[in-house]
Amino acid sequence: MPDSPLAPRALRLGVAGPVGTGKSSLIATVCRALAAELRLGVITNDIYTDEDARFLRSAGVLDPERIRAVETGACPHTAIRDDITTNLLAAEDLERDFAPLDVVLIESGGDNLTATFSPALVDAQIFVLDVAGGGDVARKGGPGIGRADLLVVNKTDLAPYVDVDVAQMVADAEAARDGRAVLALSRHDASSVAALRAWVITILASHRAGTHIAQDPGPMAPHFHADDEHPEGGFIHSHPEDAAHASDHHHSRTHAGAGMNAKE
Amino acid sequence: MDSAAHIVTLLLADARLPSGGHAFSAGVEPAIQGGLARHDVGAFLQARARTTTLVDAATAVVARRAGLIGASYAPVERAWAARTPSRAARTASTDLGRGLLRLAQRLWPQSPAIAALTAGDAVSPPRPIVLGAVAAHTGLDAETLVRVAVYDDIAGGVAALLKLDPGDPVDGVRLVINACAAVDPLISQLAALDSPEAIPAASAPQAEAWTEDHAVTNRRLFRA
Repeated sequence: MPDSPLAPRALRLGVAGPVGTGKSSLIATVCRALAAELRLGVITNDIYTDEDARFLRSAGVLDPERIRAVETGACPHTAIRDDITTNLLAAEDLERDFAPLDVVLIESGGDNLTATFSPALVDAQIFVLDVAGGGDVARKGGPGIGRADLLVVNKTDLAPYVDVDVAQMVADAEAARDGRAVLALSRHDASSVAALRAWVITILASHRAGTHIAQDPGPMAPHFHADDEHPEGGFIHSHPEDAAHASDHHHSRTHAGAGMNAKE
Repeated sequence: MDSAAHIVTLLLADARLPSGGHAFSAGVEPAIQGGLARHDVGAFLQARARTTTLVDAATAVVARRAGLIGASYAPVERAWAARTPSRAARTASTDLGRGLLRLAQRLWPQSPAIAALTAGDAVSPPRPIVLGAVAAHTGLDAETLVRVAVYDDIAGGVAALLKLDPGDPVDGVRLVINACAAVDPLISQLAALDSPEAIPAASAPQAEAWTEDHAVTNRRLFRA
């Protein structure tokens, strides 16, 4: 590959997931693990306050000036997917004010299982679940769980207290993701933090090499429902985007793993 | 106006247009946090329509004219700033302008009227200037521009109201109709404006004070 005089833009890495699963804490962990070697910036999409931004500033893991909050007008989903203007402007400002940056982490406002980032806003995204939200959540699927670049099952240290089998939850997630990366994380478990750090570095390298393609998790792909009473053992169906958007769409049935990830 | 201009009119009035508007409340969150009662929101919106919204609409008309003849937007922006005494309100308008400019540059990269907005080292202009430039490029007539400017501001405020203090959404539609009607008798007059000094200087000191207070709180849903 010829040498390019133009440094690529910073990797924009989205962090999405339901409320309380540990998105801010994961960002603090990434900053703590990488701030010494990479030039980082953070944008938070808080719902009602700048609490997440203040939490990260007070964590002392990054220069407070490099952490910015944007308002979402009570629409955290809109701000990362349907109208990304405010976040794009914030990312461009941050990259200009602290040029050159290596990675800009963008934390979504805590939303439901359908909230994912537009590929026009981020180059890669992490979807965060936690064991305390229930061991069955990974199996329920959804665009973020199914197709984010990395699915994190967070707070594994709490698993004994909430009766969740981490290995089973990770296996369910891997089945729902057709082999895409799943990471069981606890900030108290150094080896899991090291794995997260390595993943970020790998994604950054492929971003710089131009080999990483931003994925749009999009609406849930057509998928297969096992049903013993059905003549073919089940049926394939899909969800219109509006239905998936309107509420947390929960599946009460068991998914067959392979159909879940069919490309649209 | 030709068919394409009508479509642009609809787009500019559509809350789904990706230009960042959903993060703003047209002064409604500042007012409610400042103590405005729910039953006074209609009066608040009508007052806004006849004051700050009207200044913005008139600014857009004069900016459109500048865009059409290739004149500088700078005197128009100065006239607007002089009539928008709240720094927080000017900042909010500049943020909205950046969002709309970003969209306009992507849609119409060859437009001289839009390119002139960022000529030299000019910082991104406020929303009414960008709106005027878009109108100049896309062929919106001045009366349509006034209607779009007023409607977008008021409808944005009512959409925010439904999140801040949920009520019957149909009542919200009535608020929009009534506030837009408050400007209706002035539309032809506003559309005929042709110089920066002719932009009306209608201010709303209480609303501007609320906007200033809101800008420094750390508990809010909306940018302004």
